[in-house]
Amino acid sequence: MAFQGMIKNAYQDASLNKNVGTFAFWFHRLSGIGLAVYLIMHTYVLSSAISGKESFSARMGAVQNPLFAFLEIVLIGGVFFHMLNGLRISICDFFDLTRAHKLFFWIEMVLFIAIMVLTVILQWPKLQSGFYPTM
Amino acid sequence: MAEKVSNQSLLTWFLQRFSGLFLAIFLFTHIDVHHFLHRQGLINFAEVNERLAGSVGWKIFYIFFVPFCVFHALNGIWAILADYRPSGGFSASTKVVFWVVGLILTAIGALTLVNLFAVGV
Repeated sequence: MAFQGMIKNAYQDASLNKNVGTFAFWFHRLSGIGLAVYLIMHTYVLSSAISGKESFSARMGAVQNPLFAFLEIVLIGGVFFHMLNGLRISICDFFDLTRAHKLFFWIEMVLFIAIMVLTVILQWPKLQSGFYPTM
Repeated sequence: MAEKVSNQSLLTWFLQRFSGLFLAIFLFTHIDVHHFLHRQGLINFAEVNERLAGSVGWKIFYIFFVPFCVFHALNGIWAILADYRPSGGFSASTKVVFWVVGLILTAIGALTLVNLFAVGV
């Protein structure tokens, strides 16, 4: 019930304040939660090194295919949105630029789109079925 | 009149910003080297070990990177929960759980790095 209340409050808040600040605030939270979950999965995959090099190579091999290459693009999107938005928040807070937060948001979006275009270009070969050698 | 903020909340707020700024630099390097620069074949133990073993720079990098990641993630989730003004009991028990999870994740991260950094494997 408490969780339902949280969702309801969040929805009402987002509906009342439809502006880029609200979007950035909620997307920062959602991307942050997603990245925290990813951190646990990332730790699980890499921790196979504790069991030895064969175990590490096998588990790493299981997450290297076109599907995970696509998910990596989604991950990098989350990382860079969260990173750029976090930098925007810090710059606005520490340099007394809160009144210019919307301008900084659009600068952030331009940088974000540029990084994502570069990411897709770099990841594109990995999305092809012939990129990864068969195990 | 401004409400007094506890020293602990102020410290964690500041550490969240500080760790975030560090992670911005760290993640750029980490993603660039481990996700983008690797463009051929499969990542395996030998390749990662060759890059990391014997490198003081990477050791220093990851000694800061792992705890900062864990702190930033868990403190961020805690900040979201704290926004909903949880009860004293929920707050105290969640803090304990987060500390345990944080220490376990850091320990696993450290052990993983010890193995990946091992020389002559």
